Amino acid sequence: MKTRIFNILLLSVIFFSGCRDVLDLRPLDKLDGETLFATPEGVRVYLANLYGQLPIEDFSFGRLGFNTANQNTGGIAPATQTDDAANSEFSHLLDGGGNYQWWDPGYKLIRDINLLLETIPTVSSLSDADKATLLSEGHFLRAFTYFALVKRYGGVPLITSVQQYTPDVESLKVPRSTEKDTWDFVLAECDAAIESLPASRTEDNRRATKWVAYALKSRAALHAASLAKYWSKAPLSGPAVSQGLVGLESSLANHYYEICIEASRKIMDEGGFSLHKPTPASPEEATANYMELFQNPNGATGEVIFIKGYTNPGSSGHSYDFWFNPNQTSDGAPHPGRMNPTLDFVDLYESYSNPGHSTPIVTTTDGNVTDYNGFNANKTYLRFDTPYDIFKDKDARLWATVVLPGTEWKGKTIVIQGGYIQPDGTPKIETKDQITVNGATYYTYGAADWTNYSGFEVYLGNMTRTGFSFKKFLSPNPVPPNLTYSTTDWIEFRYAEILLNYAEAVVESNYTANGAQAAAKDAINAIRRRAGHTVAIELNLENVLRERRVELAFENKRYWDLVRRRDYHEKFNNTIRKALVPVLDLRVSPAKYIFIRKNLSRENPLTFPTNFYYVSIPGIGANGLVQNPQY
Amino acid sequence: MKMRQIKPAMLAAIAKGGKNTGSMRHLKTNYVRMKRLLAIVAWAVLASACELDNYDAPNAQLSGNIIDAETNELVQQDIIRGTTIKLIEHGYDPVQPQYLRVKNDGTYANTLLFANTYTIQPELRNFVQVEEQEIQIGSDTKLDFRVQPYIRVKEASIVKEGTKIVATFKLQQTVPEVVSRIGLYADAEPIVGEPIRDVAAEVQLGRTVDEDETFTLVIDAADNRAVLKSGNQYFFRVGALINVPEAKFNYAPAVAITVD
Repeated sequence: MKTRIFNILLLSVIFFSGCRDVLDLRPLDKLDGETLFATPEGVRVYLANLYGQLPIEDFSFGRLGFNTANQNTGGIAPATQTDDAANSEFSHLLDGGGNYQWWDPGYKLIRDINLLLETIPTVSSLSDADKATLLSEGHFLRAFTYFALVKRYGGVPLITSVQQYTPDVESLKVPRSTEKDTWDFVLAECDAAIESLPASRTEDNRRATKWVAYALKSRAALHAASLAKYWSKAPLSGPAVSQGLVGLESSLANHYYEICIEASRKIMDEGGFSLHKPTPASPEEATANYMELFQNPNGATGEVIFIKGYTNPGSSGHSYDFWFNPNQTSDGAPHPGRMNPTLDFVDLYESYSNPGHSTPIVTTTDGNVTDYNGFNANKTYLRFDTPYDIFKDKDARLWATVVLPGTEWKGKTIVIQGGYIQPDGTPKIETKDQITVNGATYYTYGAADWTNYSGFEVYLGNMTRTGFSFKKFLSPNPVPPNLTYSTTDWIEFRYAEILLNYAEAVVESNYTANGAQAAAKDAINAIRRRAGHTVAIELNLENVLRERRVELAFENKRYWDLVRRRDYHEKFNNTIRKALVPVLDLRVSPAKYIFIRKNLSRENPLTFPTNFYYVSIPGIGANGLVQNPQY
Repeated sequence: MKMRQIKPAMLAAIAKGGKNTGSMRHLKTNYVRMKRLLAIVAWAVLASACELDNYDAPNAQLSGNIIDAETNELVQQDIIRGTTIKLIEHGYDPVQPQYLRVKNDGTYANTLLFANTYTIQPELRNFVQVEEQEIQIGSDTKLDFRVQPYIRVKEASIVKEGTKIVATFKLQQTVPEVVSRIGLYADAEPIVGEPIRDVAAEVQLGRTVDEDETFTLVIDAADNRAVLKSGNQYFFRVGALINVPEAKFNYAPAVAITVD
């Protein structure tokens, strides 16, 4: 009986307490918009997440995606999927379905941005001015995100509000917009960003400003314009083309070039930016200045427009020092030496004595620079006292970007040697051997032990196979030999790119208003002057494109330049990239260095199929979108 | 997901291997443990593989030729990045199209299809598009495409002159677009072509051609010793590309030559 009464009481307690609002409490693990955006800290937390997801093609970007510095990429950087460099071990050009797939993360980020754009107007504690600034920042982030999508996929679904889940899935499906409408959307979002973003920031100065939005507009408009102009170099067909989902009319080229010109000119005229240390006294000084710009961008406030920073070694750092130091300065990292600038790339630089022209490395008396068949005993090779004399007089930026054979890096002489010619004339090239001549022992790779050289041996894939190693962005100080321990910051937009965008758009559209021809010529020559050139060169397409390639080398622009100008399938058509092999010539005493231009060893011929100009759209069975051509 | 059935014979083989582990002293215990373990593993595998793979094997084949409607010759192709034929199987929605590649000599075959009605049409190609058609594919179905190649490579001759390989040929174009490129290609394999070659001698033409004009292209093996070694046999083939979106090369047949 007692038990029964107790049970009734217990049930009463349970049932009657259910009448109160115990279940209507605010959850303790979630914040609503009003609370989150009520404080500057809340705003910063939300925005930090968006910036973290932003598709910035930085040190941590590659074929595995964004923010993948903590993964084993094999050191396959985007540059090694172009003609600028080769990976020491892998000849990797293509991934299935198109390179740099980025669909789901893109639309997740767009949802987060749309949430910001819809919530900000409802937050009562924010002033109207703060609201306008935050909304403009949201538009910048959305422009950046859609730019990343449109350059991969062409026209994509434009989702501009937060979709609410409904069982009627069909109503949530948004068809692809045309490629033209998608580019126009990106540019309109840039305008919405420019409208209320501040010109500068005193705190949080790595967040977007008006000038960052202009810079994005400059880059995006140039991309669209080039596409319109050169689409017909590699035309595609199929439903995506006939519906305008990929492809731009060539008549649109000048329209987009002019948008690029206007946006760039705004930055040039009103942004207050300048090149970092623009008038070096000598090429040596230019080399030091250029390296400094990338080793610590924060010291070049005049030139940098937008930085992505790296702070915590071991968690949020990147891995450039881990993968890309020459073997001798790996600091114990197991797989260094992965970024091998190609001879094709080194050839491109001007020499100071021949302004306005690429100066290929001449190795023989006949001056033939198109023979890549390897050592030929019948040829007379030019002999040099050092492994780097042959590069004397070449552009300062070559010396700042590339570790040349026999030059100093991190306190060591970097030995890059591919073999020797025995006194009897027998060549020993790209094979491990040694020989004693007049009591002195010579090694094919320049030293006895693998820790003391950095080139050509097939050892763990850690030695350069092009004859060049890489140092732009690398720290001059020791870095712990683990992934994500590099903390050099990434410059996403800098003034030099804006000048180059401007010059290219002016040349390509033959634009003349506002003294554009003279301003464009000044732009490329200012960049050359900063690199130690003192003779101005003419404004023409070849000069502008060469300048762009050498100035912005390894800043992950080359891949998209090849895509937007539709040069990829021509540059990579059964293409074998080239090496320059320094060889010690023991036929003479004292021994001298000769150089052999040759096809890269362990390289398959590489081809870029034209359908790779667009990436395949994933999940078309479910999302019902029209697939890109030939997927 | 259906799992492949594990046959008792396979289990027995695994168990037999297990006998050889451990020293003589522990052999028996190890064996007993091993047997128990294997029994558990076998049970787990068999239990999860409870459904048989009940799909029929592919039971239909399609093959045929790409034939020049005028000359009745096979239209030469590339085996990679060459002509493709699109097959859409009826009765599924949505349906992922299947693509099949044509062989170098202009024949094609897919011997692992399922009997059904299909819509078939060449997609990427080196000839003027033909209408799509419905076809009932069953056992050993044949279908030839009679086509108009964009370009006919005529009177092709590829001969050795010293270390040089000299190709002469004429081109007959059947559409008004310009011929963008002509080339002589060399490779160690008979599937040589524009996409598969070690050496190429190419000319960017960019104009229309007259069918009486003779073109000459030369590859000098002496300039390409890294790939064309003296005394080895290589395959040479001439081709031309019309300036039509996504067009593929038209070729003459490949010729085998031992280079000096």
